[in-house]
This record gives sequence, structure tokens and C-alpha cells, in this order.
Amino acid sequence: MKKSPQVNEVNEFLETASDFEDPLEVIRESLSNSYDAQATNVEIEISSHPNGSEIIIEDNGTGMNRQQLETFFDLGNSQKTDSIGYKGHGTKIFYKSERIVVTTTTGDTTLRATMERPWEKLNDRVLPEYEVTEVEPTESTDGTEIRIEGFKSGQGFDPRSLTYNKIHHYLKWKTIAGSTAHYFGEEEREMEIRVVLDEEIDDTQSELQTTNRLEFPSEQLRPSTGEFPAERMCKIYPPQELTIPHDGGTTTAQVVGMVGGKAARNELPTYGKHSAQFGVWLAKDFIKVERVNEAISHDNEFLHFFFIANCQELELSANRGKIRNKSSPVYQALVDELDHFLSKVGEDPWFKDYLEQRRIAELDRKAESQLSSVEERRERVKERNSFEPTNQAEVLLALERSNSSAETVQAEDFQMGSDINAMIRKDGELWSCSLHPTLMDHFEAEKPLQSVEKIVCWDLGDRDQLQEIERDGYQGGEVIFDFAESEIIYKNGTTSRIEIIEVQERF
Amino acid sequence: MKSHSAIVGDAVTSHSSFTVESTAGDARAGQLSFDDTALETPNLFPVINFYAGGLEQSLFGGGIHRTMKEFMTGRGKLDLEACAEYFDAAMVSVSSLTDYGIPRDTFETYLETPIKERSEFSEFDGLLFVDSGGYKFLHDGELDGSDFEMEIDQRAVFDIQQQLGGDVLVNLDHPITPDDGYQTRVEKARKTAQNVAEFLRLSGDHKSVRYLTIHGYNYSMCDTFLSELTDILGPHLVRSCFDGIALGSLVPKKDNKGDLITAVSDCKEVLADYEFDDLPFHVLGISSSSIPLLIALGVDSFDSSSYIHAAINGKYHTSLTNTVPLDEASFEDCYCPVCSNPELRAWMRGDAEYKKDELGAVSMHNLIIQKDEVTRIRECIHDDGADGLAEYIESTVGRNKSMRRFAHRVINDSLGGYF
Repeated sequence: MKKSPQVNEVNEFLETASDFEDPLEVIRESLSNSYDAQATNVEIEISSHPNGSEIIIEDNGTGMNRQQLETFFDLGNSQKTDSIGYKGHGTKIFYKSERIVVTTTTGDTTLRATMERPWEKLNDRVLPEYEVTEVEPTESTDGTEIRIEGFKSGQGFDPRSLTYNKIHHYLKWKTIAGSTAHYFGEEEREMEIRVVLDEEIDDTQSELQTTNRLEFPSEQLRPSTGEFPAERMCKIYPPQELTIPHDGGTTTAQVVGMVGGKAARNELPTYGKHSAQFGVWLAKDFIKVERVNEAISHDNEFLHFFFIANCQELELSANRGKIRNKSSPVYQALVDELDHFLSKVGEDPWFKDYLEQRRIAELDRKAESQLSSVEERRERVKERNSFEPTNQAEVLLALERSNSSAETVQAEDFQMGSDINAMIRKDGELWSCSLHPTLMDHFEAEKPLQSVEKIVCWDLGDRDQLQEIERDGYQGGEVIFDFAESEIIYKNGTTSRIEIIEVQERF
Repeated sequence: MKSHSAIVGDAVTSHSSFTVESTAGDARAGQLSFDDTALETPNLFPVINFYAGGLEQSLFGGGIHRTMKEFMTGRGKLDLEACAEYFDAAMVSVSSLTDYGIPRDTFETYLETPIKERSEFSEFDGLLFVDSGGYKFLHDGELDGSDFEMEIDQRAVFDIQQQLGGDVLVNLDHPITPDDGYQTRVEKARKTAQNVAEFLRLSGDHKSVRYLTIHGYNYSMCDTFLSELTDILGPHLVRSCFDGIALGSLVPKKDNKGDLITAVSDCKEVLADYEFDDLPFHVLGISSSSIPLLIALGVDSFDSSSYIHAAINGKYHTSLTNTVPLDEASFEDCYCPVCSNPELRAWMRGDAEYKKDELGAVSMHNLIIQKDEVTRIRECIHDDGADGLAEYIESTVGRNKSMRRFAHRVINDSLGGYF
């Protein structure tokens, strides 16, 4: 006997609704539905309530008849074919609420569907039901209003985390409001989008108005004046349709994008770090899904780039958050072709000039800061009464200068960083030497004494610290400082005498 | 010190013409004519070892070289017609004459009759380009046979070039290396310039086509070279005495396409400054995947033995930019006369009496692929202009991940760019 596998309907609904983690996804799904319903206006109102958020989405689309209303509530039973929401998954995010009321008008019929406590019931393993009634039309035009009460947004719609700024960014980066379809002359309708947050959530503005089109900042190919001349530089790379052969056939990708400095990028509704927003986005239905920054050569910092590559052969997870067919030939071919396309952008003379402008500006800033540091040094030199070395090279300089007033001691070589960092000639002989601004520096650097014949220093440094070394011993041996004889006596198995040449005393 | 005019006498003559018929960005396609021979450019001259240790009956020997000569003349054990179209020009080097350790009498035999007047090579009717082989002489300074040594200077090289019957002759040069310092390069430029003066004096009464060698890896090096030359010859003679320019010293850079592009494009810039840009421009010793890139920059001809070296290393060309191991090659997919011949296919599969025949057949195939591709590029310049050439480069070199940035560079610099 043949048997059919069973589906646990409640669990399927629960799982699908749970997949939508970000409460803002409710906006993405609503806009997609409105777009599919041919709407030219959509209004979204979000208000905060103690038992969850209330969201009202109203559009002037074609509305739904009874059958369409059923598929709105059904899972995986969408009647749509050539549209964004063909899977019948998206609206299930609405189930994470206490009440869903859909009022829809098509022609002269207005239907209202109400579902009570869907989230609670699903969690009780009960399939929630809805009731459809015909009601008096409130308006004479077609359209749909979806009211979601007690939406379980977690802290997502909390006044502390939700702002117009964040929603604007989300609209342009994650929804049909960030579509680049208009660049490709497709039959793309403009849709006005209005979002209203209640004052408790964000009172900085009364509403947000935008459309379903991503617009890049205006081009500025030449650098500006000032400290950061490349910051507003921006180039738009015009729309291109790439034809991409792969093992299973041929696909196409619509690519458009920009490269720009931080100020140019900030003219877009950015939110947070640019590194999380810019780069190369793969999109389906012209809604950005995931980034493929590896398509940009490692030489080029991806955050200068904002490219969107739309490919309808991408397959998405139920919540549209991920691309599912990454191991398919079509995906690999798409990424390879993008990699190739972006390598051309990376070699574009304008882009090279942009990077060069940034580099020159950085060098200029460095030179500027060096100038001020030179000024400070000039002042210090002017103000001091006498020359006093502060580093090894200056001690060498002082040693040479001291030869005019004392017995000749000449530096023959100098190797910075070596224990024996100088060879000096004295009394006609070459001596291995440790050279420092102070005698104490030799000990602080933990340099050995066995191989040193002379220590050259500007002065002795802190004599109390030297005395402490005398008391404690040094590197397993006994040290005696005989300043009267200008020498160190070091006993460690054998006894060695190391001459101290105190340069300051030679003047 | 002699005056400039005393150095060259009445050397200011020209026996050739170069006509640019089409351009695509900086690339150009045209015709180089000499006597009755007209050569389409851009073009690739195969390096042929006409004399490789053997005697007349063995087409003067040379292993794979002999097989190549059999293809060239149709005089092999296979009943093949001469593949004349692939030998519309050939490059031979003076320094290669003693590669096979020949005795003096053989050497003298080789020089007795000009190559194109020998009955053995009568089917060869291409332009014969005779290089001096300066790079080899830089180290040895002599031709070294099995029982003789011959000191080499400009006069000796010129005499041999004449005896070989060269149509295009190149002065004896002193190639530079990437490790040379400024003084060394200047010294080599001066020595080359002195040779050039001698070359012009010697060739004054001859009707051969004269190519001047230039050496440098960037604008300043090429400029310094030409400035040294100008100091010795004078600007007028430098401009008026040559029929073509050959850029040398690039072999050590053959695997660094970025450096090659810089050297060639900078040299072209210097040549324009010296008003040499209407002369044909040859690049010595560079071929294969560099060809499309350098044609885009305005190179008119190349010479190379890479088709043989690839075969010796077991590589079978599937295009100008790609090879596959010989044992993985699918001969049936190739249209060329070698791969279309069942007996030659058997040779390439190893069923040949001698290894030279197996590899010789592969060499000929590789040459055909390279030559046909150069023809395709030439047609592209004639018919499709800069966009067509850019598309060709984009779809060939540009599709190789390790080389694509060089394709992008020449398309941006010489063919109008992408955006």
C-alpha cells in the first residue's frame, strides 16, 4: 500500500513565521505585496503599544477577491507567478501578532478577513482560523488595508531602536523601495511610499516619503578643494545587462552601481558602518539580498563600491534573507562574471585617479602635520640654552662636536639596534662600543657588558638607579661604577673594565 | 671625430614603404612593402633556423627546425604542399649560425648562397628579417664553431646578413638587462650608437630595409637611448635613415605583462616625440598572449620561436593565449592543415619515426594558431575598429584571470576604455 508523507501544518506555519527574524521584514513583505497588486501609493503606520506594535499598511492596489484573500492566509499557495511574492511565504510574518484584519476592495466588493490571536494559537499547536465577511465599502477605489495588532516585534520597533533614519535605510537596502529596475528601462511602475511612526517611536519628523527607486548621488568626477578632496568624488557606472553562459544555459544580470567617497555615500540613507552596507549586492526582483564582496579584488576596498546585480535565477530562502542556490552553476557563473565586471571598474582610469587623489590628500595631510611638528622643533631649538642629545644619533653628533675641545674620539660606524651599536676610534685603536643618551639607557635596554669595551653617553642619567644596579648586580654578575675613574668594573667569572665616555664632560 | 654626414655618406635611402590602412585606437593595420614582397601587418615572423648543422640533402638539419623547414618548403617525407601562407616572413639570427657547433667549411658553405636563392628554399618567398643576435654576442663577442672562432663586430654581422640575403637588416646592438644601472645602459647605448653609425655606412649602397634597435623599459630609458644615438649621428640622420624600429631587450620581461606594456607604450611615446611614429614598429622576441595587448598599443610585427618551445615543452596551442598538454589535445577540434591530416595527427600522438617529427608537427600547428590569430586581429582592426579590437581582447586575454588587468589596461589606455 502506498502512503503519502504527512505535513504538520501548524509547525510549517510556525516555522515559516519564525524564519522572519527582523520585524522590519513586515515592511518589506507589505511593499512587495502592494507592488505586486499594482499599487501606486502605499502608506505604512507603525505605533508602539504595551502589548506589541500596531502596523497598518494601506495601498491603492487592485485589492483581493475571496480566492486571493485565501491565498493571502495560506502557506505556499500563492496564485502569483511572475511576481515578487510567488511563494506565498511573506505574509506569514503577519502571524506573529495578536490580530490580523485585512480589508480589501476590488470592484464593488469589499471583504474583511479577521484572524484572532494567530501567534498564540500557533504556539499552542493550533492552526488559527480567519473569518471573511463582506462589508460596506469605506472608499470607492480599489485597495487593501492590513492592520496587524500586537505585532511581536521584540525590541525591533522599540522607540530605542526604531527611527525614521533606520527605516529609510532599510527601505532602500532591503525592500522594493531600493529597486534599480528603473535604470534598465523595464516596465517599472513608480510607487509612492509614505511611512509614519508614532511620536513615541520617533518624533524627529512627521513622516517619511520616498519611492520605489534607488537613486545614486550625483556624479562628481573631479576632486574638491580642502583637506579631503576625494570625499565627494563619485562616478556612476551605467546600467549594463550581462549575458552569462553557464553549464545549464544562459542567464542575465542587470548591474548598475557607483564608486564614491564617504561624503558621496553619505548622501544615500546610510545607517551605521559603511562596511556593512557597501560593496556588491546580489538582488532578486531588484531587492537586495546578500553581498558578494569577494567579487571585488582585494586591492580595492569594497566600501567605496555600491553595485547591485539583479539576477532572477537566484533562489532565495523563505524569508528572502539568503541565497539558496549558491552551489549551482548559475550562481558560480554569476559571481565569476561579476568578478570580471568589477575588475574592469578596478582598472578604470577614473577609479585609479580617485584612489590617487585620496593618497595624495593623505600625504598632504601628513606633510601638514610634519610641518607643524617641524615648527615645534624649531621653537624648542630656539628656546634651549645648549645642545642636549635626546637620541643615539644626536649623541654621535655631540661626540664629533666635542672633539674640538677634547681628546679625539671618532665614530667609525653606527648600527642602530645592535647591542654594539657603534665602533669608535680612540688612541688610534678601534673599540666596540654601546652608545646611548644616558649610561642608564644601556642597562634599561638590558644590553650585555661582556662584549662592550666602552660606553659612550651624553650623561650618566639617574645615579640612584645606577646605584640600585650596583646593589642588585647585573645579568648574574657584580657591577661597580667608578665614576672618578670613568669606568665600570664588571665581575662575572672574569673581571672586565669598561670605560665610560661621558660626552657632556668633554665640552 | 667625423662629422655626421661623413659617418653615413649617402646612406639616406629607403627601399621599402609602410602604409597604415586602418587604425583602431592606437593599433594599426597596414602593409610593409619591399621590392615585390608585400607583408600585411600586424604580423608574426616565425624564427626559423635555416642552417642548423646539416647539409643540403637534409635541408641543412636541425631536428624540429628541419621538420619546420619541410613544412615551409613541402620537401619532406610527407607529400605536403608548402605552407607558404604561414611563412610570409621569417626571422633568422646571425648568432644562431653556430648553434650546432659546425666546422668552418660548413659555416662557409652556409654563407656561399643567399637563403632565398637556394633551390632547397626556393618555395620560401617571404620577407627575410635578419637579426644580429646582439644579446648572444653581448656575452660571447664571437661566433664559436667546432674548429674556429670568429670575432664579431658590426662589419662582420653586416657581411653575414648580406650573405644570408636578408631583406630586413638590424644593426648589431648591445641589449640591456633589467639589472643594468644607468651608467651601464648609457655605455651600451653609446656602443650601439657607434654600431649604428657603422651599420649605416656599410649599408649605404645596399637596398636592404634597415631597422634600428632601441632598448629601454620606460620613457626615460628609451629617451636616453635615442639621445645618445642623436649625439653621435645627429637628429636628421636618426630620423631619415631607418625604415623601421625594433624594440629589444624585452625577453627578460616576457612574463611580466605590466612591464611589457609600459616598455612598449612608453617607447611609442618617445618615438612620436622623435617623429619616428610613422615607421613600422617591431618588438623583438615577444609573442603568444602578449601579441593582442601589444598590437593594441601600436606594435606592427613580432618574431618568436615560442611555437617551437611550447611544442618541446609538450604544449599544444588552442589559441594565442591558451595551451593544453599535448596528450590532452583534441586534434579533431582543430581546423588547421596539420590537425586535418591523419598522418600528422598520428605523428602528434607519438606515432612518428623521430621525436622531431612529433614535435615538429605540434610546432607547425602552434605556429598556424598564432599566425591565424594575428590575421584575425588584423581583420578586426580593418573591419571593426577600436570597439571590435577591444571586444576581441576582452574575450581572449581579458577572460584569463591572471592577465585580465593587462587587457583592461590596454583597453583603457589605447582603445577608448569601458566606461
